[in-house]
Amino acid sequence: MIPVAGARQLAAVHDMDEPGRLVAILAALEDEAPVVREQAVRYAARYLEPARLVRLVANDERAVLRNGAIAALERQGPCAVPPLEMVLAGPVDAELAMFTLQVLTRVADRHSAAAILPFLHHANANVAQAAIEALGAFRASEAVPDLLALMGGNLWLQLASVNALGEIGDARAAGPLLELAPDSLLAIPALQALGKLPAPAVAVPLAQLVCDVREPASREAALLALADVVARNPADPAVLHALSLVAGAADEPTLLRMVQGAVATVDDAPGPSRLRVAAATIAVSAPVAAAWAPALVVLAEATDLVGILLRTTGPRLVPLIVSHLRDGGPRVRSLIVEFASAEVIPPPLLLGALRDSHALVRAAACRALGPLQLAESVVPLVELLKAGCDEERAAAATALACQPSGHIAPLAECLAPSDEPELLCHALGVLEATGGQLHLERVLELAHHASAPVRRAALRALAGLGDRRVEPLLLRALADVDPEVPAEALELLVQRGGKRTLDNLMALLSVSDSLRFRVIRALGRLRVARAAPKLEALYPDCPLHEQLEVVGALVLIAAPGLRDFLRARLSEPNLELRRAAARGLAGLAGTEDLPQLASLASDADWNVRNEAARGLARLPLEESRPLLLTLARDVESVVAVTAREAFTGEPARTWALSS
Amino acid sequence: MTLALDAEWKLLTDLIEERFGLSFTGVRRDILASRLAPRFRSLQCANPLEYYYHLKSHPERDRELAQLAMTLTNNETYFFREAHHFECVARHVIPSLNGELHARPLRILSAGCSSGEEPYSLVMTLQAMGLEAHLPHGWEVEACDLNPARLAQARDGAYEETSLRNCDEETRRRYFTRDGTRFVLRERHRAGVRFFTCNLAAPVMPLGTARYDVILCRNLLIYFGETAFMALIERFARALVPGGYLMLGHSESLIDRSPSFRAMVLNGMVVYQCSANDG
Repeated sequence: MIPVAGARQLAAVHDMDEPGRLVAILAALEDEAPVVREQAVRYAARYLEPARLVRLVANDERAVLRNGAIAALERQGPCAVPPLEMVLAGPVDAELAMFTLQVLTRVADRHSAAAILPFLHHANANVAQAAIEALGAFRASEAVPDLLALMGGNLWLQLASVNALGEIGDARAAGPLLELAPDSLLAIPALQALGKLPAPAVAVPLAQLVCDVREPASREAALLALADVVARNPADPAVLHALSLVAGAADEPTLLRMVQGAVATVDDAPGPSRLRVAAATIAVSAPVAAAWAPALVVLAEATDLVGILLRTTGPRLVPLIVSHLRDGGPRVRSLIVEFASAEVIPPPLLLGALRDSHALVRAAACRALGPLQLAESVVPLVELLKAGCDEERAAAATALACQPSGHIAPLAECLAPSDEPELLCHALGVLEATGGQLHLERVLELAHHASAPVRRAALRALAGLGDRRVEPLLLRALADVDPEVPAEALELLVQRGGKRTLDNLMALLSVSDSLRFRVIRALGRLRVARAAPKLEALYPDCPLHEQLEVVGALVLIAAPGLRDFLRARLSEPNLELRRAAARGLAGLAGTEDLPQLASLASDADWNVRNEAARGLARLPLEESRPLLLTLARDVESVVAVTAREAFTGEPARTWALSS
Repeated sequence: MTLALDAEWKLLTDLIEERFGLSFTGVRRDILASRLAPRFRSLQCANPLEYYYHLKSHPERDRELAQLAMTLTNNETYFFREAHHFECVARHVIPSLNGELHARPLRILSAGCSSGEEPYSLVMTLQAMGLEAHLPHGWEVEACDLNPARLAQARDGAYEETSLRNCDEETRRRYFTRDGTRFVLRERHRAGVRFFTCNLAAPVMPLGTARYDVILCRNLLIYFGETAFMALIERFARALVPGGYLMLGHSESLIDRSPSFRAMVLNGMVVYQCSANDG
């Protein structure tokens, strides 16, 4: 059976008095069933004061209870920081110090760094290591001098410091980390840390290591680090110099074998490994000519670096790229066509690629040509739209959509009512994107097409136009037999706006049909103030889904009397209506709503409490602080996070000071 | 803005977990968002809250919930996936029930069977090991899923190449006939398998027609939230005969999670035996 005893006790925790609650939570924290213990952690975070939990952490005789207390403190987040920092400020044994540092690391309140700094030099190496890791996680640059000093001591602390320096990413660490490159134990972590530094200048020594080091693990680590630096700063002069060093050494057999081998690795997990991507990055950008084409394909699978690297390093590699465009496989040709700059692949070559023997390349040429807006590309793009495979059609449509409306007269070939619906939708999508009245008569005709997707696409293409026939057409579409067409038509009417649309929407409000909830929503989005009385009048007798829309619309309209309307809704028996009302009240909360929000803050429903937190966050903190501090430890994480947002920027240790 | 959106997603993911047992918290929320994008577009929902309202209050919410079930459960599977479970049934479970199976059929449930590859693979294994001759009352394999479209495909018994990725040429020839690009399971291997729609997270929905000797529920529970997980495990316990077996996917475990089952090693793998119960 499900471990019911502990679970049942916990379920009643909300209604217990404080001593009973404490007993129940403490018992559940030590329950045999993990699921009960996990639940107990949520309640402990909500109902036990952080200082009490800290005392439980100090108790080394009941390990299960201690673990539960640690988890609850972590869940309390910033609320737990003040007592934890107090632990560090006083005399503390090594074990408690270590647990405290670990919790502070996971809570991740950056302001705790100052309290942690003194522990970098703690006599107990485990404590010092926990402090190093915490400061690394906080990216505490003020710790850099101490961390650099620690690199001369205990090996474990050196290792932790190297990792922390990488996490912090401070350029001051570059020199000391490079000095560790010959170190048999620390070289690899040091190289990993170097790859994270915002210091493009390290690319040059890293490139030298890639070229000169023979020991495979260190060389791979240098390659990974160099690739990270290249990816972040592809156009930096130091990086380009570093790449030229690798290119100059690319014929060296062991280097070539490593790069080729890494690029060609078969990955176990989905997606290429980090080493494979790193080798590909270097092979494409240096370049390593013998591995260039397969590396390009690997990069395209793994990252969006292909475009960046081809554009930044391509101009140096024109002969290589052009030779691959001529002789490479379809995937390589398509990547070159799509991503190389005009300096490398000029427009006439791109236009030629529209007639490539392979669809991949033709589709890539479409994507590359679109932004260039070449009038001479329109006819071949229309041809591909008519006759290409799915990918070509989509790419051609996207490219045509980039054209000025004056260019796309040839699109008429794709707009015959007898054309297949998919082609018509693509062509209408192009007209929607380009705007203008070109082919207007044809599009008006297509708004009555037998296919619902075509009718919808035609309506979208028409909606942005001022022609007098459009509005009646959209209104008539509200009665379309396909339910998706009226929804689309209404959306388009809302986007068009205008007095006539508003009048029509107001009239539709009197018609009780399947579209009315959308009409209500639309009136809200358009903030039609004169609709408010009619919406309020409609509310009592309309079905639930419309009532929810009425509440939402009135909130958006913000008509006079809204606050009273919402307060009345808080007494509705239906939970969704109460939630909607709480959402509305949260959005307009002022000091006068404090009693109401206080009541909502203790509601049984998490969503209502969440809205209370949102509302309270709008009030001056001196008034809402106690309530927000309670909500910041709510059993539902979403509520806790919402409440904590109110304290953003304020160090956790000051949260409770004014309560 | 992001926090408000988080709350809207939580409304939706809570509803999905309550209705279907499926958990979409953490990184899985992005998967949910991408799967629901077409539904949002189709219903003109601008945000999770509008879709949530549709599911909770719209007059056509039942139709949309059915559509949602299909959207969420299009998990593909393939024949003879983790086939050691089928061998375990043949080599260990059937011999242990030898006495009883003279008087009644072997009963097995494939829970979350998708398009039927699992129950059919089990039948093929039992047939290949010549067990028809040793079971006078044969077997009854019942198979359920939430997604009616998948079950329709299961009943058709026609599969794409990808479902046969674990089948060699000989297996393909023996069990299937070609129909263009599809492979149709021969009639003889479909015998004794009954499919039915079932929401495993709905406690009122009957779990088949009998108590089972074995329940296979593999690679499904990893998508369940804790509450739905525990509830389903207890439903399984009630649906099994005393001493019946529950077989889970290799990444799923009941160890220390339910007193209704004890873990044991059969055929080199962990299975879960139901403690004696009173049904």
